[in-house]
Amino acid sequence: MRTTCPYCGVGCQVEPEVQGGRVVRVLAPDIPPNHGALCVKGRFGLDFPFSGKRLLYPMVRESRDAPFRRATWEEALDFAAEKLLEVLRRKGPEAIAVFPSAKTTNEEVYLAQKLARALLGTHNVDHCSRLCHSSSTAALSRSLGGASMTNPIEDIWKTDLFLVVGSNTTETHPVIAAMIKKRVRQGARMIVVDPRYTGMAEAATLWLRVRPGTDLFLLNAMARYVLEAGLWDRAYVEARTEGFAEWRASLEEYTLERAEAVTGVEREKIALAARLYATTERAGAYWAMGVTQHTKGTATAQALVNLALLTGKVGKEGAGLNPLRGQNNVQGAGDMGALPDVYPGYLKVADEAARKRFEALWGVPLNPKPGLRMTEVFAAIPEVEAIYLIGEDPVTSEPYQDHLKAKLSALPFLLVQDILENETTPFAHVILPAASFLEKEGTFTNTDRRVQRVRKLLDPPGEARPDWWITQELGKRLARALDRPWREYPGPEAIWEEVRQAIPELMGGISYARLEAEGVRWPCPFEDHPGEAVLFRERFNTPSGRARFFPAPYTPPAEPPSEEYPFTLSTGRVLFHWHGGTLSRNSRLKEAYPELKVEVNPKDAERLGLQDGEPIYVVSRRGRIRARAWVTERTPEGVVYAPFHFAEVPANRLTLDALDPVSRIPEYKVSAVRLEKVD
Amino acid sequence: MRLRVDGKEVEVQEGALLLQVAPVPTLCHHPHTETKGLCRLCLVEVNGRLHPACATLAQEGMEVKTETEALRRLRKTLLEWLALTTDLSQAPELLSLMERYGAEPARWPEVAGRKEREALKDNPFFLRDYAKCVNCRRCVDACGDGIMGVYALTLEDRGLLAHPTTPLGRPLPETPCVFCGNCVQVCPTGALRPLTLEVA
Repeated sequence: MRTTCPYCGVGCQVEPEVQGGRVVRVLAPDIPPNHGALCVKGRFGLDFPFSGKRLLYPMVRESRDAPFRRATWEEALDFAAEKLLEVLRRKGPEAIAVFPSAKTTNEEVYLAQKLARALLGTHNVDHCSRLCHSSSTAALSRSLGGASMTNPIEDIWKTDLFLVVGSNTTETHPVIAAMIKKRVRQGARMIVVDPRYTGMAEAATLWLRVRPGTDLFLLNAMARYVLEAGLWDRAYVEARTEGFAEWRASLEEYTLERAEAVTGVEREKIALAARLYATTERAGAYWAMGVTQHTKGTATAQALVNLALLTGKVGKEGAGLNPLRGQNNVQGAGDMGALPDVYPGYLKVADEAARKRFEALWGVPLNPKPGLRMTEVFAAIPEVEAIYLIGEDPVTSEPYQDHLKAKLSALPFLLVQDILENETTPFAHVILPAASFLEKEGTFTNTDRRVQRVRKLLDPPGEARPDWWITQELGKRLARALDRPWREYPGPEAIWEEVRQAIPELMGGISYARLEAEGVRWPCPFEDHPGEAVLFRERFNTPSGRARFFPAPYTPPAEPPSEEYPFTLSTGRVLFHWHGGTLSRNSRLKEAYPELKVEVNPKDAERLGLQDGEPIYVVSRRGRIRARAWVTERTPEGVVYAPFHFAEVPANRLTLDALDPVSRIPEYKVSAVRLEKVD
Repeated sequence: MRLRVDGKEVEVQEGALLLQVAPVPTLCHHPHTETKGLCRLCLVEVNGRLHPACATLAQEGMEVKTETEALRRLRKTLLEWLALTTDLSQAPELLSLMERYGAEPARWPEVAGRKEREALKDNPFFLRDYAKCVNCRRCVDACGDGIMGVYALTLEDRGLLAHPTTPLGRPLPETPCVFCGNCVQVCPTGALRPLTLEVA
């Protein structure tokens, strides 16, 4: 039976064959977006639902020092509701946060944020995209009025130039990378901006090896050069944008000379890249965490937006601004309102008309004040007293791990709902076992806005239940005690019908019946609408209909290397693993990549007397981890690269919690470290 | 555009392959790997000459024959030769074609084939069991130009000795292989198959 892969945002369609409690084979049907192709994770990594670490029964404990005891669903849900109500009564809605998950379905996210807003009265709602693309979202929203890929994945076949910035696409979105690489073999060109020699750099026409955290300077210098050389699209800028003059003035200092000094890339190469991008009609920009996970993440995404607007690349086929979303349903989680400042459909919490729409739909008065973002919620502990955490493992994924652990230890009530035991479950007071993607119905929305079905192939093990069921049961209890309305849904399709009703301009035309054959892209306002492929063809989604330039000033990374910590640590992922490793390291994938390897440039290795494969310590101001050195040219001199999948040696023990001022995303990509030999 | 297939008039779009209108068996052809024209099972007679249907564009006024006695005999022989050299036990489509064309491999003398080759297990995900390989090349193309652009598989030697392998015969983990398994998906004979199918 056909369903949607639970790993990255490409949203590959998969047909897992399950026999005798195992996934024996995964094939892919010949439909979009993947047309039969898969990567190692979708092909061989779908067996985590059979892991021995599955949470099988609800568990409860009165205090963090007490041992967990098995409970009935009734008991566990009553206990959780009571705790939440107690905090609500004593400290008010601002002391509670609900974190839906970008790994659960649209229906489940919708229900969880509805529970937070309509029952608990809090907008402290957020999800893990805070840590991945919140800076892209901030820049795209304020400039274009929308925060998704502007172009569909199929547009890759119409693109003549790819500008790929800070995306290790071959390892993080392998199926999209394969398409881009094939298009390059057909004759398209590709410019890759990355400090590391990734698979994309290998396939590039032009690779700009920037120093970590300086891509913003490079992008501003490209824009300045395009202006100076007269290569910009004057007609487009005049007809479709605003704020140009002010932004233009902000580019004064970004000369090619200074760019070379700051980024380490020869000025001729920067000029060539700018010229190619500006003069190729169908040029598409693609980016990911290398752009976003910085204290200047929003500014860097903004610089990409500015460059695309300057050269008239938005609203056209084969071009556009395309942030590659990481989690399977990170687009959907945002669409469904798992963000502190917007309702479903990105309608602003602070906007009265939006509030009235949801008050009418849900039949309750709503809080007019936007909530806290995820990173702010953790910082606000113990002022925030209760967190309802769904499908997330912040102990592995948040920066500066020791600090976060201390915060969680001081949190009076943590409710964890998940499928597998992870690093965060030991901090819980109540654990509710959830169903995996193989065990429930619903929809995920992929990186190019395609809503696709998730289908039930199996019954959940033990007493595990789908997330929507759990949230609904918890909601029932809260509603009863608070005397507020709470609709009961017979299943995910009924929840989806409410979503269609809530945001008809985006989802109105997308019914489950339509999704039988293949996914449908939003916006899709009515049933015979095909779903929009390219956004902003005519107008942008801003009040004026024009896109807005914003100055994006360069600032150096928060923690530069020093004598004591001479290396720059960059974190990220590897092909075989997934985020905190909870899924991939409980699957067959663990055999292919069993332990942490830290990339070290051969010149640095020689200087330090390190051999390939030798155990080393990586030490930052915040902690140390032990890893194996992988001596490789992939990483530049002075930079070490560590994947963060390995909970027992967590790279995020080393990262700092300096945040982007706009989006509050942490600077995962730059922290100062030193390497020590293990004796 | 109009042409005749086995005496019947058919209409097709410009750029269509004969395979799209001619009901013939095929083995190597695959739309995503772009493999074509290798196995010769899809040969058809066009205006008296033989053409592979998977690699021939339909043209106005063509007279196409798909099942002449000569073509049937050719397919029967091709299938028999495949069966002589390889283990087709996990290639259901080929087995049913053999039945359809009345293939009798036993009418040929024995040939040194690849049936005795041991399956290679050099990675945690899938087997390369070349005793079952018919050299259709789909895996090589899926890995290379067709889909991935990774080039961890290649075809070595010629004629009966031809076989897919890795560059210099190295174990897959020592090649650029990314274990996407797209080669496994397009393999029509079970020569490449997930290890999970092996354990009871």
